[in-house]
Amino acid sequence: MNEILLSFARWIDTQDWSTQIHESIYLYSWIETTHVLTLMLSLGMLVIIDLRMMGKTFTSIPAAELAQRLNRPMIIGFAVMFVTGILLYYAIPVRTTQSIWFRIKLVLLVAAAINAYLFHRAMRASVDTWNTAEVPPDRIRRGAATSLVLWLGVVFTGRAIAYDWYDCHKPQSEFVYWIAGCVDELAALPQ
Amino acid sequence: MDLLFLFEWLDTSFLASISKAYGGLFAVVQMFHLAALAVMGGMVLASDLRLLNVLLKEVPADEVLNNTNRWFDYALIVILVSGVFMASAVAMKLYYNEMYWAKMAGLFVGMAFVYLIRRPLFRDGIEGVSQSAIKVIAISSIVVWVSVAACGRWIGFS
Repeated sequence: MNEILLSFARWIDTQDWSTQIHESIYLYSWIETTHVLTLMLSLGMLVIIDLRMMGKTFTSIPAAELAQRLNRPMIIGFAVMFVTGILLYYAIPVRTTQSIWFRIKLVLLVAAAINAYLFHRAMRASVDTWNTAEVPPDRIRRGAATSLVLWLGVVFTGRAIAYDWYDCHKPQSEFVYWIAGCVDELAALPQ
Repeated sequence: MDLLFLFEWLDTSFLASISKAYGGLFAVVQMFHLAALAVMGGMVLASDLRLLNVLLKEVPADEVLNNTNRWFDYALIVILVSGVFMASAVAMKLYYNEMYWAKMAGLFVGMAFVYLIRRPLFRDGIEGVSQSAIKVIAISSIVVWVSVAACGRWIGFS
Protein backbone atom coordinates (compact mmCIF):
# COMPACT_ATOMS: atom_id res chain seq x y z
CA MET A 1 0.00 0.00 0.00
CA ASN A 2 2.75 2.46 0.99
CA GLU A 3 4.62 1.63 -2.23
CA ILE A 4 1.52 2.48 -4.30
CA LEU A 5 0.93 5.75 -2.42
CA LEU A 6 4.58 6.74 -2.82
CA SER A 7 4.59 5.89 -6.53
CA PHE A 8 1.45 7.99 -7.00
CA ALA A 9 3.02 10.89 -5.07
CA ARG A 10 6.21 10.64 -7.15
CA TRP A 11 4.16 10.67 -10.34
CA ILE A 12 2.36 13.86 -9.20
CA ASP A 13 5.75 15.30 -8.31
CA THR A 14 6.82 15.00 -11.94
CA GLN A 15 3.91 17.18 -13.11
CA ASP A 16 4.86 20.71 -14.20
CA TRP A 17 1.95 22.32 -12.35
CA SER A 18 2.94 20.70 -9.10
CA THR A 19 6.44 22.14 -9.37
CA GLN A 20 5.13 25.51 -10.46
CA ILE A 21 2.77 25.82 -7.46
CA HIS A 22 5.50 24.66 -5.09
CA GLU A 23 8.09 27.04 -6.45
CA SER A 24 5.79 30.01 -6.95
CA ILE A 25 6.59 32.91 -4.64
CA TYR A 26 3.00 33.91 -3.98
CA LEU A 27 0.61 31.22 -5.27
CA TYR A 28 1.50 28.54 -2.72
CA SER A 29 1.36 31.11 0.09
CA TRP A 30 -2.05 32.36 -1.02
CA ILE A 31 -3.42 28.81 -1.31
CA GLU A 32 -2.21 28.05 2.20
CA THR A 33 -3.53 31.36 3.53
CA THR A 34 -6.94 30.63 1.99
CA HIS A 35 -6.84 27.12 3.50
CA VAL A 36 -6.17 28.55 6.97
CA LEU A 37 -8.49 31.56 6.74
CA THR A 38 -11.41 29.40 5.64
CA LEU A 39 -11.15 27.82 9.10
CA MET A 40 -13.01 30.93 10.25
CA LEU A 41 -15.98 30.02 8.07
CA SER A 42 -16.00 26.21 8.20
CA LEU A 43 -14.85 25.52 11.76
CA GLY A 44 -16.33 28.80 12.98
CA MET A 45 -19.84 27.74 11.94
CA LEU A 46 -19.24 24.17 13.13
CA VAL A 47 -18.21 25.46 16.56
CA ILE A 48 -21.41 27.53 16.86
CA ILE A 49 -23.54 24.51 15.91
CA ASP A 50 -21.67 22.20 18.31
CA LEU A 51 -21.81 24.74 21.16
CA ARG A 52 -25.57 25.03 20.64
CA MET A 53 -25.86 21.24 20.72
CA MET A 54 -23.93 21.32 24.01
CA GLY A 55 -26.28 23.96 25.42
CA LYS A 56 -23.51 26.57 25.65
CA THR A 57 -24.81 29.28 23.30
CA PHE A 58 -27.88 30.38 21.32
CA THR A 59 -29.93 28.37 23.82
CA SER A 60 -33.11 30.32 23.03
CA ILE A 61 -32.91 29.37 19.34
CA PRO A 62 -34.23 25.93 18.29
CA ALA A 63 -31.15 23.74 17.75
CA ALA A 64 -32.24 22.23 14.42
CA GLU A 65 -33.00 25.63 12.90
CA LEU A 66 -29.66 27.07 13.95
CA ALA A 67 -27.87 24.04 12.48
CA GLN A 68 -29.87 24.29 9.28
CA ARG A 69 -29.11 28.02 8.86
CA LEU A 70 -25.38 27.61 9.46
CA ASN A 71 -24.97 24.42 7.44
CA ARG A 72 -24.62 26.16 4.09
CA PRO A 73 -21.80 28.60 4.98
CA MET A 74 -20.08 25.75 6.86
CA ILE A 75 -20.22 23.46 3.82
CA ILE A 76 -18.99 26.28 1.55
CA GLY A 77 -16.07 26.73 3.95
CA PHE A 78 -15.26 23.02 4.00
CA ALA A 79 -15.49 22.87 0.19
CA VAL A 80 -12.91 25.67 -0.13
CA MET A 81 -10.71 23.95 2.45
CA PHE A 82 -10.99 20.67 0.55
CA VAL A 83 -10.01 22.24 -2.78
CA THR A 84 -7.11 24.25 -1.29
CA GLY A 85 -6.07 21.17 0.69
CA ILE A 86 -5.89 19.10 -2.52
CA LEU A 87 -3.79 21.87 -4.13
CA LEU A 88 -1.43 21.94 -1.14
CA TYR A 89 -1.00 18.16 -1.43
CA TYR A 90 -0.54 18.47 -5.20
CA ALA A 91 2.24 21.03 -4.67
CA ILE A 92 4.22 18.89 -2.18
CA PRO A 93 3.04 15.31 -2.77
CA VAL A 94 5.97 13.13 -1.67
CA ARG A 95 6.76 14.75 1.66
CA THR A 96 3.03 15.06 2.46
CA THR A 97 2.36 11.41 1.63
CA GLN A 98 5.16 10.45 4.00
CA SER A 99 4.05 12.82 6.75
CA ILE A 100 2.86 11.01 9.86
CA TRP A 101 0.76 14.08 10.72
CA PHE A 102 -0.95 14.15 7.34
CA ARG A 103 -1.85 10.49 7.76
CA ILE A 104 -3.28 11.07 11.25
CA LYS A 105 -5.13 14.11 9.93
CA LEU A 106 -6.81 12.01 7.23
CA VAL A 107 -7.83 9.41 9.83
CA LEU A 108 -9.27 12.18 12.03
CA LEU A 109 -11.13 13.66 9.04
CA VAL A 110 -12.71 10.27 8.34
CA ALA A 111 -13.58 9.91 12.04
CA ALA A 112 -15.10 13.41 12.05
CA ALA A 113 -17.16 12.57 8.95
CA ILE A 114 -18.45 9.33 10.54
CA ASN A 115 -19.23 11.20 13.76
CA ALA A 116 -21.09 13.89 11.78
CA TYR A 117 -23.14 11.22 9.98
CA LEU A 118 -24.04 9.42 13.21
CA PHE A 119 -24.70 12.73 14.95
CA HIS A 120 -27.11 13.91 12.24
CA ARG A 121 -28.87 10.55 12.22
CA ALA A 122 -29.36 10.69 15.99
CA MET A 123 -30.43 14.31 15.73
CA ARG A 124 -33.00 13.70 13.00
CA ALA A 125 -34.46 10.76 14.93
CA SER A 126 -35.06 12.67 18.13
CA VAL A 127 -34.84 16.41 17.48
CA ASP A 128 -38.59 16.97 17.91
CA THR A 129 -38.32 16.03 21.58
CA TRP A 130 -35.50 18.48 22.46
CA ASN A 131 -35.31 21.04 19.63
CA THR A 132 -36.26 23.95 21.86
CA ALA A 133 -34.60 22.63 25.02
CA GLU A 134 -31.78 24.85 26.29
CA VAL A 135 -29.62 21.81 26.94
CA PRO A 136 -30.01 18.85 24.51
CA PRO A 137 -29.83 15.22 25.74
CA ASP A 138 -26.55 13.60 26.80
CA ARG A 139 -25.89 11.65 23.61
CA ILE A 140 -26.31 14.77 21.48
CA ARG A 141 -23.95 16.73 23.73
CA ARG A 142 -21.42 13.89 23.59
CA GLY A 143 -21.62 13.84 19.80
CA ALA A 144 -21.03 17.61 19.65
CA ALA A 145 -18.10 17.40 22.09
CA THR A 146 -16.59 14.53 20.07
CA SER A 147 -16.90 16.64 16.95
CA LEU A 148 -15.04 19.54 18.60
CA VAL A 149 -12.26 17.26 19.88
CA LEU A 150 -11.82 15.59 16.48
CA TRP A 151 -11.62 18.95 14.71
CA LEU A 152 -9.14 20.23 17.28
CA GLY A 153 -7.08 17.17 16.35
CA VAL A 154 -7.45 18.00 12.65
CA VAL A 155 -6.22 21.56 13.30
CA PHE A 156 -3.25 20.28 15.33
CA THR A 157 -2.17 17.61 12.86
CA GLY A 158 -2.70 20.01 9.95
CA ARG A 159 -0.38 22.54 11.56
CA ALA A 160 2.10 19.84 12.59
CA ILE A 161 2.64 18.79 8.94
CA ALA A 162 5.00 21.78 8.69
CA TYR A 163 7.29 20.30 11.36
CA ASP A 164 9.96 17.82 10.27
CA TRP A 165 10.28 15.87 13.53
CA TYR A 166 9.19 12.59 11.94
CA ASP A 167 10.29 13.16 8.35
CA CYS A 168 11.74 10.16 6.53
CA HIS A 169 15.11 11.83 5.94
CA LYS A 170 15.72 11.90 9.69
CA PRO A 171 16.72 8.82 11.67
CA GLN A 172 13.49 7.30 13.05
CA SER A 173 12.40 4.11 14.71
CA GLU A 174 11.19 1.26 12.49
CA PHE A 175 7.64 1.90 13.72
CA VAL A 176 7.74 5.55 12.62
CA TYR A 177 9.22 4.58 9.25
CA TRP A 178 6.39 2.08 8.84
CA ILE A 179 3.56 4.36 9.92
CA ALA A 180 4.89 7.30 7.88
CA GLY A 181 5.35 5.10 4.84
CA CYS A 182 9.12 5.66 4.52
CA VAL A 183 9.45 2.84 1.99
CA ASP A 184 13.10 3.40 0.99
CA GLU A 185 14.30 3.92 4.56
CA LEU A 186 12.50 0.76 5.73
CA ALA A 187 14.12 -1.24 2.93
CA ALA A 188 17.53 0.11 3.87
CA LEU A 189 17.24 -1.00 7.50
CA PRO A 190 19.53 -3.93 8.41
CA GLN A 191 17.48 -7.15 8.54
CA MET B 1 8.27 54.73 20.72
CA ASP B 2 10.82 52.00 20.18
CA LEU B 3 9.65 48.70 21.69
CA LEU B 4 12.95 46.92 21.10
CA PHE B 5 13.61 46.68 24.85
CA LEU B 6 10.33 44.81 25.30
CA PHE B 7 11.27 42.24 22.67
CA GLU B 8 14.80 41.88 24.08
CA TRP B 9 13.28 41.24 27.49
CA LEU B 10 10.78 38.74 26.06
CA ASP B 11 13.56 36.98 24.15
CA THR B 12 15.44 36.24 27.37
CA SER B 13 12.41 35.69 29.60
CA PHE B 14 11.44 32.46 31.37
CA LEU B 15 8.60 32.08 28.88
CA ALA B 16 11.10 32.15 26.00
CA SER B 17 13.25 29.50 27.64
CA ILE B 18 10.20 27.20 27.65
CA SER B 19 8.87 28.05 24.19
CA LYS B 20 12.34 27.65 22.62
CA ALA B 21 13.15 24.40 24.40
CA TYR B 22 9.90 22.50 23.87
CA GLY B 23 8.93 22.38 20.20
CA GLY B 24 6.03 20.05 20.94
CA LEU B 25 4.56 22.45 23.48
CA PHE B 26 4.99 25.31 21.00
CA ALA B 27 3.03 23.30 18.40
CA VAL B 28 0.22 22.55 20.87
CA VAL B 29 -0.03 26.24 21.81
CA GLN B 30 -0.09 27.07 18.11
CA MET B 31 -2.99 24.64 17.70
CA PHE B 32 -4.97 26.50 20.37
CA HIS B 33 -4.07 29.79 18.68
CA LEU B 34 -5.50 28.48 15.40
CA ALA B 35 -8.55 26.92 17.04
CA ALA B 36 -9.28 30.20 18.83
CA LEU B 37 -8.90 31.98 15.49
CA ALA B 38 -11.57 29.68 14.09
CA VAL B 39 -13.90 30.39 17.03
CA MET B 40 -13.31 34.13 16.81
CA GLY B 41 -13.77 34.10 13.04
CA GLY B 42 -16.99 32.14 13.40
CA MET B 43 -18.36 34.64 15.90
CA VAL B 44 -17.31 37.62 13.78
CA LEU B 45 -18.82 36.15 10.61
CA ALA B 46 -22.03 35.00 12.30
CA SER B 47 -22.68 38.37 13.93
CA ASP B 48 -21.56 40.57 11.04
CA LEU B 49 -23.33 38.53 8.37
CA ARG B 50 -26.45 38.76 10.54
CA LEU B 51 -26.06 42.56 10.69
CA LEU B 52 -25.77 42.50 6.89
CA ASN B 53 -28.94 40.37 6.71
CA VAL B 54 -27.12 37.50 5.00
CA LEU B 55 -27.16 34.86 7.75
CA LEU B 56 -29.58 33.88 10.54
CA LYS B 57 -32.16 36.37 9.23
CA GLU B 58 -34.93 34.80 11.32
CA VAL B 59 -33.00 35.35 14.56
CA PRO B 60 -33.13 38.84 16.13
CA ALA B 61 -29.78 40.59 15.51
CA ASP B 62 -29.46 41.55 19.19
CA GLU B 63 -29.77 37.89 20.14
CA VAL B 64 -26.99 36.94 17.71
CA LEU B 65 -24.75 39.73 19.05
CA ASN B 66 -25.36 38.73 22.68
CA ASN B 67 -24.53 35.10 21.99
CA THR B 68 -21.44 35.74 19.87
CA ASN B 69 -19.86 38.50 22.02
CA ARG B 70 -19.07 36.19 24.92
CA TRP B 71 -17.35 33.55 22.76
CA PHE B 72 -15.51 36.26 20.86
CA ASP B 73 -14.07 37.44 24.19
CA TYR B 74 -13.00 33.91 25.20
CA ALA B 75 -11.35 33.36 21.82
CA LEU B 76 -9.56 36.71 21.96
CA ILE B 77 -8.12 35.86 25.41
CA VAL B 78 -6.80 32.52 24.10
CA ILE B 79 -5.36 34.24 21.02
CA LEU B 80 -3.59 36.91 23.12
CA VAL B 81 -2.18 34.49 25.70
CA SER B 82 -1.05 31.89 23.14
CA GLY B 83 0.24 34.70 20.90
CA VAL B 84 2.56 36.05 23.62
CA PHE B 85 3.87 32.52 24.23
CA MET B 86 4.51 31.95 20.53
CA ALA B 87 6.10 35.40 20.15
CA SER B 88 8.50 34.67 22.99
CA ALA B 89 10.09 31.86 20.93
CA VAL B 90 11.01 34.19 18.07
CA ALA B 91 10.81 37.62 19.69
CA MET B 92 13.77 39.25 17.93
CA LYS B 93 12.80 37.81 14.56
CA LEU B 94 9.30 39.23 14.97
CA TYR B 95 10.59 42.64 15.96
CA TYR B 96 12.14 42.99 12.50
CA ASN B 97 9.15 41.42 10.66
CA GLU B 98 6.90 43.97 8.92
CA MET B 99 3.98 41.54 8.63
CA TYR B 100 4.06 41.02 12.40
CA TRP B 101 3.69 44.76 12.95
CA ALA B 102 0.87 44.87 10.39
CA LYS B 103 -0.86 42.13 12.36
CA MET B 104 -0.32 43.92 15.68
CA ALA B 105 -1.62 47.19 14.22
CA GLY B 106 -4.69 45.35 12.89
CA LEU B 107 -5.19 43.57 16.20
CA PHE B 108 -5.17 46.80 18.20
CA VAL B 109 -7.41 48.56 15.67
CA GLY B 110 -9.75 45.55 15.82
CA MET B 111 -9.88 45.50 19.62
CA ALA B 112 -10.43 49.28 19.79
CA PHE B 113 -13.11 48.94 17.13
CA VAL B 114 -14.94 46.18 19.03
CA TYR B 115 -14.70 47.56 22.57
CA LEU B 116 -14.81 51.31 21.91
CA ILE B 117 -17.13 51.56 18.90
CA ARG B 118 -19.07 48.41 18.01
CA ARG B 119 -20.22 47.26 21.43
CA PRO B 120 -21.02 50.73 22.87
CA LEU B 121 -22.97 51.51 19.69
CA PHE B 122 -25.08 48.34 19.94
CA ARG B 123 -25.28 48.30 23.76
CA ASP B 124 -28.99 49.19 23.77
CA GLY B 125 -29.76 47.12 20.69
CA ILE B 126 -29.50 47.90 16.99
CA GLU B 127 -32.97 49.55 16.86
CA GLY B 128 -31.77 53.12 17.10
CA VAL B 129 -28.78 52.72 14.78
CA SER B 130 -29.14 53.63 11.09
CA GLN B 131 -29.00 50.84 8.53
CA SER B 132 -26.03 52.40 6.76
CA ALA B 133 -24.07 52.64 10.04
CA ILE B 134 -24.86 48.98 10.81
CA LYS B 135 -23.59 47.91 7.39
CA VAL B 136 -20.41 49.99 7.67
CA ILE B 137 -19.73 48.50 11.11
CA ALA B 138 -20.31 44.93 9.90
CA ILE B 139 -18.18 45.23 6.76
CA SER B 140 -15.38 47.02 8.65
CA SER B 141 -15.40 44.30 11.28
CA ILE B 142 -15.05 41.48 8.73
CA VAL B 143 -12.30 43.35 6.84
CA VAL B 144 -10.31 44.11 10.01
CA TRP B 145 -10.41 40.59 11.47
CA VAL B 146 -9.79 38.75 8.21
CA SER B 147 -6.82 41.09 7.60
CA VAL B 148 -5.43 40.35 11.07
CA ALA B 149 -5.71 36.61 10.42
CA ALA B 150 -4.15 36.91 6.95
CA CYS B 151 -1.24 39.00 8.27
CA GLY B 152 -0.75 36.37 10.98
CA ARG B 153 -0.37 33.64 8.39
CA TRP B 154 1.98 35.75 6.28
CA ILE B 155 4.38 36.26 9.20
CA GLY B 156 5.57 32.74 8.42
CA PHE B 157 6.11 33.53 4.73
CA SER B 158 7.94 36.84 5.13
